[in-house]
Amino acid sequence: MKQSPELQKIQEAMRPGRLTKTGFLGSDSRPLADILAEDEATVARLGLTHAAIATRMAYFREKGEAGLGLAVDVPPHFEVRVDGVRGRLPCPFAHPGLYPKIFCQVHNQKTGETVTYSDLQIHLIGDHGFYEGRGSPYRLEPETLVQVLEITPEE
Amino acid sequence: MLNEFLLGVGVVTGLNAFLALLLVLAERTLSHYGPCTLTINDEKKLVVPGGQDLLSTLKREGLFIPSACGGRGSCGLCKVTVLDGGDPLATEIPWLKPEEIARHVRLACQVRIKHDLRLQLPREWFAIRQFQATVVSIRDLTHDIKELRLRLVDPPEIEFQAGQFIQLEVPPYELTDEPVYRAYSISSPPSNRREIELEIRYVPNGLCTTWVHRHLNVGDPVTFNGPYGQFVLRPGNRPIIAIAGGSGMAPLKAIFLDMAEKGIARSARYFFGARSRRDLFLVEEMKALETRIPGFQFIPALSNPLPEDRWEGETGLITEVAARHVPDASGAEAYLCGSSFLIKAAIAMLTERGMPRERIYFDDFG
Repeated sequence: MKQSPELQKIQEAMRPGRLTKTGFLGSDSRPLADILAEDEATVARLGLTHAAIATRMAYFREKGEAGLGLAVDVPPHFEVRVDGVRGRLPCPFAHPGLYPKIFCQVHNQKTGETVTYSDLQIHLIGDHGFYEGRGSPYRLEPETLVQVLEITPEE
Repeated sequence: MLNEFLLGVGVVTGLNAFLALLLVLAERTLSHYGPCTLTINDEKKLVVPGGQDLLSTLKREGLFIPSACGGRGSCGLCKVTVLDGGDPLATEIPWLKPEEIARHVRLACQVRIKHDLRLQLPREWFAIRQFQATVVSIRDLTHDIKELRLRLVDPPEIEFQAGQFIQLEVPPYELTDEPVYRAYSISSPPSNRREIELEIRYVPNGLCTTWVHRHLNVGDPVTFNGPYGQFVLRPGNRPIIAIAGGSGMAPLKAIFLDMAEKGIARSARYFFGARSRRDLFLVEEMKALETRIPGFQFIPALSNPLPEDRWEGETGLITEVAARHVPDASGAEAYLCGSSFLIKAAIAMLTERGMPRERIYFDDFG
């Protein structure tokens, strides 16, 4: 897929040390347009949308906030902890404002799997379809999110 | 045909190399600002090389500014008054209140020194030093919180107030190729100047917590700077209400140990929240303070005790438990430490019970 100058500029901002220490791309050397296209195809193959995935992530984030930093049970079989550390992160797609460094850890007690994501990542997935590059320590595989958070296509 | 193609490739490559060279030369000449003078509080003058950011320049001069993100502009802590430093950058605006902008407050990490600058810095920052230390013990407090005990090497002693924090330097390792700094409260009392203790909760993929939990060993050298912060016990005789959860234990433990050592007898109730027994720690140590501080009461609570915990103590969210014990908070003052959600909920609970907002003290990690 051809990369627009706008995407190229955003990809530059995603490199380590620009907006965040580790950046958003990991060891992924592909153009951002290709990264987005591959995840877009994966999500479509799963019968879902980025918005549906982000909505489910935000659901757990909201439920977990009630624990005031401690884990809470979320029916039917999830344990969720939402906590924060000092600092805020900007959106590399140049949306205004900063996202607090709040992370949501969802443990699926049925499968034993856990995923962790930040407020910024809910935004990046929901609004930009961006799951971070391969090799990024914060990359969220769409399949993993769908499996652990038990996201099903709407009828 | 092939020759023309190769010639084209050669010309483009040569042009790119020429432009790259021009950029390097421009970087070295146009952005060379020469020596600049920093005048601090109209008293102290420092002559420093221009072109660098203010935060790292001051650090090199032995002046440590609070910063939790290592100069990435993502923590908003390194606020300094720069009287002739120009307008704040777009990256600073979200962190600055209008009144701070009017007072020429800037984020030191975002200010590039291009000419002489006049700075206003709080005097307490002049006492901040860098310390070399050795890890003398690492103890598991819970499944995800470790207690780190550091023995100071150079300088061999530190002076601080109970409740203050330091910035731990994370050296380059598999998750970072340059040093990064993270802030942690000191959990030991100031009476022991040769050692400090930290309580560090593991954060998934956290640069510092991963290093501490997975890589750091007893005997390793570490570097930190400090002390920082205003989260300290205020003088007076007002009853104290302390509320914490998780690694928020650290500064409050230091404050109450300090009170015990100094014989400060103030009515104090310390509410500490955990999910289940496995998340609770230092209960015996905190309970022991009830005999050392007249009027002190430690009230641990579990939000979701397991049957095997055989828990007979308080249950519920820690703010709910505190609310049951404190029908009227108007005459007290509060010290809060924990997640931003806990602090927000505790502030709401306390102000509903009559506590003036200005008597609620906390470390703002938001």
